[in-house]
Amino acid sequence: MATTPRGGGTAQRPNGASQNKICQFKLVLLGESAVGKSSLVLRFVKGQFHEYQESTIGAAFLTQTLCIDDTAVKFEIWDTAGQERYHSLAPMYYRGAQAAIVVYDIQNQDSFQRAKTWVKELQRQASPNIVIALAGNKADLSNSRVVEYEEAKQYAEENGLLFMETSAKTAMNVNDIFLAIAKKLPKNDGAGNQGSGQGRRLAEVEQNRQTNNCCK
Amino acid sequence: MANSKFSDVDEYGFQRPEDFDYLVYEKFMSSYLKVLTERQIRWETLKRKNTDFSKLTRTLKRYIRKGIPTSYRTEVWMKVSGAYQNQQQSPDLYSNLLRAQFDRDTVEAIKIDLPRTFPDNIHFETKKRQLFNVLIAYAHHNRDVGYCQGLNYIAGLLLIVTQKEEPTFWLLKMIVEKIVPSYHTKRMTNLIRDLAVLKELIKLKVPEVNNHIENLGLPYTVIASKWFVCLFAEVLPTETVLRIWDCVFAEGYKILFRVGITLIVAHRNVILQADDISVLAELFRNEIIKGEIATDCHNFMKNIFKVPGNLKRRDLERLRLICIDRTNC
Repeated sequence: MATTPRGGGTAQRPNGASQNKICQFKLVLLGESAVGKSSLVLRFVKGQFHEYQESTIGAAFLTQTLCIDDTAVKFEIWDTAGQERYHSLAPMYYRGAQAAIVVYDIQNQDSFQRAKTWVKELQRQASPNIVIALAGNKADLSNSRVVEYEEAKQYAEENGLLFMETSAKTAMNVNDIFLAIAKKLPKNDGAGNQGSGQGRRLAEVEQNRQTNNCCK
Repeated sequence: MANSKFSDVDEYGFQRPEDFDYLVYEKFMSSYLKVLTERQIRWETLKRKNTDFSKLTRTLKRYIRKGIPTSYRTEVWMKVSGAYQNQQQSPDLYSNLLRAQFDRDTVEAIKIDLPRTFPDNIHFETKKRQLFNVLIAYAHHNRDVGYCQGLNYIAGLLLIVTQKEEPTFWLLKMIVEKIVPSYHTKRMTNLIRDLAVLKELIKLKVPEVNNHIENLGLPYTVIASKWFVCLFAEVLPTETVLRIWDCVFAEGYKILFRVGITLIVAHRNVILQADDISVLAELFRNEIIKGEIATDCHNFMKNIFKVPGNLKRRDLERLRLICIDRTNC
């Protein structure tokens, strides 16, 4: 363990039999109120959906692990409150984050504009190598869509973002968007180290544990 | 109340969660029912003596700390907090507010939260209109606050207790403006300050717990924002919240720190045993706020006056000044 590099880096399985790596990344969810941030997390982490998901006050923290080939990618997910006034707290969550999902509601043009503002703020103030994904949520309600798929896709391409339309309700593209992020994150030694502060410290904690809760 | 232990709906209409621990609850209720009956009789005596609930005498304070019976709650909350007196001074305020033209964005923001306020409460569906009225009236009355997410839970629970819009409005106003001012405003300055104060208090009372929480990296904003914003509504079990509010309306914000400290100190050992931030976060999402200690409201309310020890207003105000300086830079 002592030889493992710091920061979201790798850790050997206790018995050393397989060479599975564990990488840990800090991911933050941002977006306007009621676009489905908490619902996406609940779907991804617990496979559940609540029609009337309570509003997030402050922020919530959850974890989930995904497997890519021989690597276990553990996401530490910081789910933030959407209402504008809670945003003074947001920088502490995206500071040091290696990934972000910026969420909007495909039925709500304002929420798409707000998402763009979030992307700008992240590009300006978050870690320079942060992987940003744009999620057009509530895709099951495409009858009342006002944000066109092509428009959002083009915006995402211009800004180097991953993009998917998702539905926390039907589970459409929920795992996929996290998986796409996991694939894009660097998993070589010292990976996840581009963040600072909390991200690194959390990773150290992880290193000291011998987690193998993945790839069951 | 007696049949509640056999029901999957509690006495306030909340559906009990699937993983609700009926054993723990029955054990608690078997002794608490006795307490409730006794308190009811004591309060009736107090009432017969024409006690003025707007004067917080030592006797009244002692009675309130042991819990206000449901039938007296609205009256005592209104009088002991001063909300009743305010209402007397502006009897038309509430109805006038409801006659005004509503701001479209505020209406929108409140409407988003209506269906997700207590969807698990079987009586609440019929209270949605009342909740909307109280929230929109308050948002227009206090433009610095407008509508802040979290107020829906406070006003919602007030409505469940008082059953009426007007006392709910006046009690909400008392909380937002007098008890915890600038928690819900657009910059939430005092909320951020008091989260820092809570951390300082934990550092002071149980430094090893604060160290552990810091080492695992769970910020107090994740742990306690909702505690303060909602005054523990939609956090702790309903009966516990109401017992806390009994004291909050009588004694003010200090009670919130007492509750916060007690929750953390009472769970010192499980917190120290958590070896990972996700385990710690899960503790704060479940056991700490929904477990046996939080459910046994009578014992818990005794503990909030013992466990944190001395908590002088003067010291708290001094800490607040230090913390506001720090959060400003």
